[in-house]
Amino acid sequence: MRSNPPGRVDTAVILAGIRLKNPVMAASGTFGYGTEYRGLSPASAYGAIITKTVTLEPRPGNPPPRLCETPSGMLNSIGLANVGVDRFLREKLPALRNAGTVVIANIAGRTIGEYARLAGIMDRAPGVSALELNVSCPNVAHGGVAFGVNPLTASRLTRAVRRAFRKTLIVKLTPNVADMAPVARAVAAAGADALSLINTLYGMSIDTARRCPSLGNVTGGLSGPAIRPVALYHVYRVSRAVRIPVIGLGGIMTADDAVQFLLAGASAIQVGTANFIDPATPEKIVKGLVAYCRRHGLKSLRELTGWLAG
Amino acid sequence: MTPSRLQARILSNREKKKGVFLMELKAPGIARSARPGQFIMVRPPHGSDPLLPRPFSIHDARDGSVSILYRVVGRGTEQLSGLGKGQALAVTGPLGRGFPIRAGNYRPALVAGGMGLAPMPFLAKKLAALGRIPKILYGCRTKGELLGPSTLGAVIATDDGSCGRRGLVTGLLEEELCRAGSCRVFACGPWAMLRQVSLLCQKSQVPCQVSLEARMACGLGACQGCAVRGVHGGYLSVCSDGPVFDSRLIDWEQEPPL
Repeated sequence: MRSNPPGRVDTAVILAGIRLKNPVMAASGTFGYGTEYRGLSPASAYGAIITKTVTLEPRPGNPPPRLCETPSGMLNSIGLANVGVDRFLREKLPALRNAGTVVIANIAGRTIGEYARLAGIMDRAPGVSALELNVSCPNVAHGGVAFGVNPLTASRLTRAVRRAFRKTLIVKLTPNVADMAPVARAVAAAGADALSLINTLYGMSIDTARRCPSLGNVTGGLSGPAIRPVALYHVYRVSRAVRIPVIGLGGIMTADDAVQFLLAGASAIQVGTANFIDPATPEKIVKGLVAYCRRHGLKSLRELTGWLAG
Repeated sequence: MTPSRLQARILSNREKKKGVFLMELKAPGIARSARPGQFIMVRPPHGSDPLLPRPFSIHDARDGSVSILYRVVGRGTEQLSGLGKGQALAVTGPLGRGFPIRAGNYRPALVAGGMGLAPMPFLAKKLAALGRIPKILYGCRTKGELLGPSTLGAVIATDDGSCGRRGLVTGLLEEELCRAGSCRVFACGPWAMLRQVSLLCQKSQVPCQVSLEARMACGLGACQGCAVRGVHGGYLSVCSDGPVFDSRLIDWEQEPPL
């Protein structure tokens, strides 16, 4: 084993078989297909990029307005707008796989069969290191969150995808349930290699001047610093309920936020809404994590994961 | 041209009319590469509430600075209005597709409604540099709301007739479209005005470019939050397909996207 030179902090993490140069990942839907931030934020700053959700067919998304700012947060009802898997493979993946980081494809389907078909296609896609299953989108009528609220359904879906996909399989879970642990356990038992949590919380806002919902889709998903304590709670709980790694996300803006998630039990973290506010967030968080380790005499970020007892 | 992000120092931030401010920011890179109709994202300075940066069209760009013209409508613009010279703001830009302007033998007509005046001085300046002196048609509700029209030599219409022609700015455009010679229209303003401008131009077969507004998060085409329905079905992103569009690409029957 190679030892660290004094003062050097090892930022690498091994996440269910994939080596990430740092534990900071771009959350699905907030970093596009990895090239939109060109010139502002190099994709290579991230340990991994998770793509916008890809579906079998192109999807136009929900009627506007799709965004609404809320106190320290935002609601979105994008509705999985995406170019579809064919164009993703042809037009988006080639640039993405040369972006200098690990590529994780996020997928969603209307049926278990669609998920499995997409997983099979992604299994053969060059440069895709892992899959993240979106079973937690609050903004679509079919599929999405419907697969993520029931342990039995989530388990059947995970098993079907597991058969079609040989590389690392991550399942992204919804907090919109009474208890996340049963779904997390079911998905782990069905063959998931890791879990991402949390997706957005159901939310709503009303325009009082016009007396109508602020979002075209009426309801949306809440993200940003407003949900951070909720996300941290779920990461703490779920990471104790399963043996597979947990990736924490929900309102992470700074290195200190990221440290909290690691201490609570996350093996890696994702940055979502913060990309909109400051595209340099991943670089700042990685630098901040290193500084934190130096201050506390740690040689590796991996020492932080699950520090909290019990 | 890829955008850049910087901490831009405020050179001035003056109230032009009640509730309407002109802010000048030092941003040499943006000033150099900006084209009329493009926008910048400006983040209100106070922590995470309000959270998101706001898009503002570039009012003018010169000598290493860019300016924005904004009305105080919420907490973000309220915070901006309280800032003074020397303070710094996180600014990203230039962003989006601007007005396509080129040399040629045409009469540019700039149609602005209310705060839609914001991108027009920069556009007028660039057109003039190409030898195309634009006619500016500018409408608002009442004389008290007019924003520095004298400097632009605009033809004015007010809803109440307190300045210029009584009526809508689209009335001025109808007359302009009747004049001989090829005309090109560049418009910015409320959705209802833009819809009417688009209709008039299509009737007269005059090319028309409109600048749209939408709530945005990333400003870069990544989040798909600022969708507007296109005429061919599906959605366009105001931030990256626009904010300036050929008016024929937009489905004008939809609810305003803002």
